Amino acid sequence: MSSDQDHLKETDTEKRFEFKKEEKSAFEAEKGLTEETIRVISEDKDEPEWMLERRLRALEQYKEMPMPDGWPGAPDLSEVDVDEIVPYIRPDIETRGGVDDWNDLPEEIQDTFDKLGIPEAEKNALSGVGAQYESEIVYQNMQERWEEKGVIFCDMDKAVQEHEDILKEYFMTKAVPPSDNKFAALHGAIWSGGSFVYVPEDTTVDMPVQAYFRMNSDGMGQFEHTLIIAEENSEVHYIEGCSAPKYSEFNLHSGGVEVFVKENAHVQYSTVQNWSKNTYNLNTKRAICEADGTMEWVSGSMGSKATMLYPSTVLKGPGATDNHITIAFAGEGQDIDTGAKVYHNAPETKSTIESKSISKDGGRTNYRGLVHIADGAEDSSTSVECDALMFDNESTSDTMPYMEIQESKVDVAHEATVGKIGDEDVFYLQSRGLDDDDAKQMIVAGFIEPITEELPIEYAVELNRLIELEMEGSLG
Amino acid sequence: MSTQVHANLTEAQVEQISDDLGEPEWLLETRKDALAALEELEMPDVIRTPGRTWTNLDALDYESLVDPLDYAQDKDRIDADGVEVLSWSEALDEHADLVEEHFGSVVDPQRDYLTALSTALFSAGTVVYVPEGVDAEDVKIRTTMNSQSLFNYTLVLAEESSSVTILERQGTGETTDADQYYSGIVEVVAEENAYVQYGALQNLSEETYNFQVKRGHADTYATVNWIDGNIGSRLTKSNVETRLLGDSSESQILGAFFGHEDQHFDIASRVWHEAEHTTADLVTRGVLDDDARSVYEGVQDVGREAWDTSSYQRENTLMLSDDSEADASPKLIINNHDTEASHSATVGQVDAEDMFYMTSRGVDPESAKNMLVEGFYVPVLEEVQVDELREDLDQLIYERLRE
Repeated sequence: MSSDQDHLKETDTEKRFEFKKEEKSAFEAEKGLTEETIRVISEDKDEPEWMLERRLRALEQYKEMPMPDGWPGAPDLSEVDVDEIVPYIRPDIETRGGVDDWNDLPEEIQDTFDKLGIPEAEKNALSGVGAQYESEIVYQNMQERWEEKGVIFCDMDKAVQEHEDILKEYFMTKAVPPSDNKFAALHGAIWSGGSFVYVPEDTTVDMPVQAYFRMNSDGMGQFEHTLIIAEENSEVHYIEGCSAPKYSEFNLHSGGVEVFVKENAHVQYSTVQNWSKNTYNLNTKRAICEADGTMEWVSGSMGSKATMLYPSTVLKGPGATDNHITIAFAGEGQDIDTGAKVYHNAPETKSTIESKSISKDGGRTNYRGLVHIADGAEDSSTSVECDALMFDNESTSDTMPYMEIQESKVDVAHEATVGKIGDEDVFYLQSRGLDDDDAKQMIVAGFIEPITEELPIEYAVELNRLIELEMEGSLG
Repeated sequence: MSTQVHANLTEAQVEQISDDLGEPEWLLETRKDALAALEELEMPDVIRTPGRTWTNLDALDYESLVDPLDYAQDKDRIDADGVEVLSWSEALDEHADLVEEHFGSVVDPQRDYLTALSTALFSAGTVVYVPEGVDAEDVKIRTTMNSQSLFNYTLVLAEESSSVTILERQGTGETTDADQYYSGIVEVVAEENAYVQYGALQNLSEETYNFQVKRGHADTYATVNWIDGNIGSRLTKSNVETRLLGDSSESQILGAFFGHEDQHFDIASRVWHEAEHTTADLVTRGVLDDDARSVYEGVQDVGREAWDTSSYQRENTLMLSDDSEADASPKLIINNHDTEASHSATVGQVDAEDMFYMTSRGVDPESAKNMLVEGFYVPVLEEVQVDELREDLDQLIYERLRE
């Protein structure tokens, strides 16, 4: 493990994320969203008729739905003009569904992911990795021993072809229907790429499965779909990482994530999001958790110009548990509006939400959360804890939780605190010989520790490096 | 907007109310402007989450609820040494300039549809004038509603370095079976170094729909404290708010409610920190029984220039029945990092261990529960400085528990 850590420490994180590649693609859809574009995407992917129909229905819904801008304090989305983005770019690669040998990737794509540190991470700690470049998965691998147990990890386009029955049942029908919100509908119409993970009964995948999403082109939209099904008594940890370099035009990321946690299964879904600072990240993520199942969301939101993302879990069966651990970091010009939603729909369900945010240089963070305890969800409990750390007076930090409690035999607790970085803490560390920057750095690292300790070491290191990068030289 | 009331309201009615109170031209004009604005104004903001409106004010049939020229009421006003506690006509006679200067300066007459309706139609109310340097004991105002609809307007002016505590009680006299509508606006102006505690105890009949805005402006070193006790009414939408406009100003907002049967309380406590070294403390405790429902919104808004802010908020709800519903949204909006702010909210039942402890000491379960519920309110009650308000509130809670 240590050599791996060293590698990541030595790598210049800024260079790792900010480099660009010459655009070179095999197919690029016209800008904007028309029925024609959708037919082209669907045909290009050789999709069955039912998927095309779902796409077209989602397009209709998209057109009818309002923008999510009527909310108090919602990020400004006026720049988001779907007619100005390129919804679909197929990279220039022969093998549909990605190559399975790293060395078969075109050099420029290989180079991109090498710089991001993906191959090293795979060698060391992952049971499988998928890499998406623009709209398509370009590399997909799963360790053989998992394949033998019946674990499926493939890209979504392939899943539509090879696991049609499962897809027909689960794809945007139960967890994230297109009617959920405008960007879920948009996603339903033009989704492309993403991962499908299927874990059979009684199977524990004890190493994380990873997907990495990279947006390289200017003014594009990325709409990957992730579908995870963990059957009874199974366990899996899925990690996604995302990045895009900065361009002058805005980019749109509008993914869809659906997770099905069956009885007594356990899914952890971890995200380290570092989209470029002109990306609008409008994602919809939802899990449905059956009896005694456990869903865990761990997320670090670093990048993007504006993020609106509230991973949500429906606790459907008795004894189901949901945990959220999130950290948001907003620097100059960033508006990170994120939180968690939990629906307690069965007795003895539990949830915990731990949200941390840091804002500096005029950045805005907002915790927006909903806890709903339905009538009949007896003996349920929830606890929400939000802490915000602010560095300066240009920054903003808001907390807007909503609690709807329809059942009396419950235990609901919400707590939030906001504060500046403690002068006394800084003084204490300085008196031990640390300079101001290092002292603050250390305090922030301590502040986010509950998140980093949930992540595999590579991601923890990456998250820390990203935060260091955000803070470099700008403390005073 | 079809359910709204303005269709059967006329300028002539407004003129008649104004004439009855012997008002000057400017106030009549303010009323007429508010009446005209009804066309454009929206209902007060309520909390909405996707697919759900937490309190539906649009559903009320204001046309049948509001009878502009029927405002039968009893009013008791007990003043204290040095304070003038005046009816509107008295106030307009004696302090025309002060009233004109401050009326509508704290609560925008056209803030929303229901506030404008109140401005256009208010028939009675009170002006409390506390001259500079006066330290006053308890002022008491009791309003008894004997009409189908009643619009009340209270203006409190506390001049520099004065202090006053005010207890306002709202109740219903002759009850009819018909639905009633009560609307109350309270404006508090606390000038430099003034202290105002305004306690309200609302025990209207349970056929009454109740809309209230209580809002204060606190100047440098001033304090505006509120107590908002809600026991009666069918539906209450109550907004209790302070803007901390001067350095080192303070506000405390205490709330207590007890809902039973199908009562609905929508309570908001809001504070804006707009100057340096300001402090706010928001504490609300509520109990719900039967089918009752509460909606709580708490807002602590710390402005860009509000250096060295301390702001705290706690909201706790006890649910005694399985058909009740408690919704809460405590919000923190922080634009200055030199802030210490926290909020917490809890919802739960009477603590099982406490019950066990009491019953094991020989207290029967019903009495044990009642004692625990009464004890639950103590942190709010002990902050209430007006003895009469504290005792009345305590008594109403006691009675409700034994109904």
